[in-house]
Amino acid sequence: MHKQTQLDLAFAALADPTRRAILARLSQGEATVSELSRPFGLRQPTISKHLRVLEDAGFIRQGRDAQRRPRQLVVGGPLKDVDGWIRPFREQWEGRFDNLDSYLKKMNKPKK
Amino acid sequence: MLNDEKTKTTIDRDTLTITFQRKFGAPCEHVFAAWTEPEHMKHWWDPTGLPLSECVIDLRPGGGFKFTNRDSAHSPPFTGVYRLVERPSQLVFEAMGAVGTVRLESKDGATHMTVSIRCASAEHLDQFLKLGVDVNTDRTFDNLVDYLRKSAR
Repeated sequence: MHKQTQLDLAFAALADPTRRAILARLSQGEATVSELSRPFGLRQPTISKHLRVLEDAGFIRQGRDAQRRPRQLVVGGPLKDVDGWIRPFREQWEGRFDNLDSYLKKMNKPKK
Repeated sequence: MLNDEKTKTTIDRDTLTITFQRKFGAPCEHVFAAWTEPEHMKHWWDPTGLPLSECVIDLRPGGGFKFTNRDSAHSPPFTGVYRLVERPSQLVFEAMGAVGTVRLESKDGATHMTVSIRCASAEHLDQFLKLGVDVNTDRTFDNLVDYLRKSAR
């Protein structure tokens, strides 16, 4: 059940709006702790705590620059699993209602 | 990717309910018939648009239903039991451990449909809730997902 545990960690990490915003920021490119703390108006230790959660869940990792220690997004990381899990359910129902919509339009036409 | 938001999807953490809202340019009676009569239901239930290979409806409280897709190898039949039948405004059923409610309201010549899926215990929906995402408002999350999909190519 390793996969399940990883997915649980990912969901827990994404449950926080600040962490989702950090991920969105990192999707534009790597950033250091101080670069991240400014736009969010949070103190660096708070940002670091969020970053650790994201790192444990496998979303991000530290970049190569040992001095600045920027964080970067792991491409193809757990977000792919999360997306894969939530998307089919939503798309299934949306597809269904699209069908219903076009079917109702046919139903509306008076019978010849 | 979100479509043009014809269907509004919301997730309520407190009641463990996923809700879809959609407006149709047809009277309630037609929408209700589409949900409750096999000759209509079979044409729209399968998200791929293919007609169902089997569509059984015993429309009464306690009566069962069974919808089988053509491509049943990939999706098992959807079966359940009706709990409440109120033509043409409400339909309640149980399926896959969840309670589904279809509400139809006539407004300005259109039908406003609300489909809610309330889960009592299923971990799946609990995971939806842990995510804390209202999929229609959390664009950040969607954009991020789209970005990752592109960059993973």
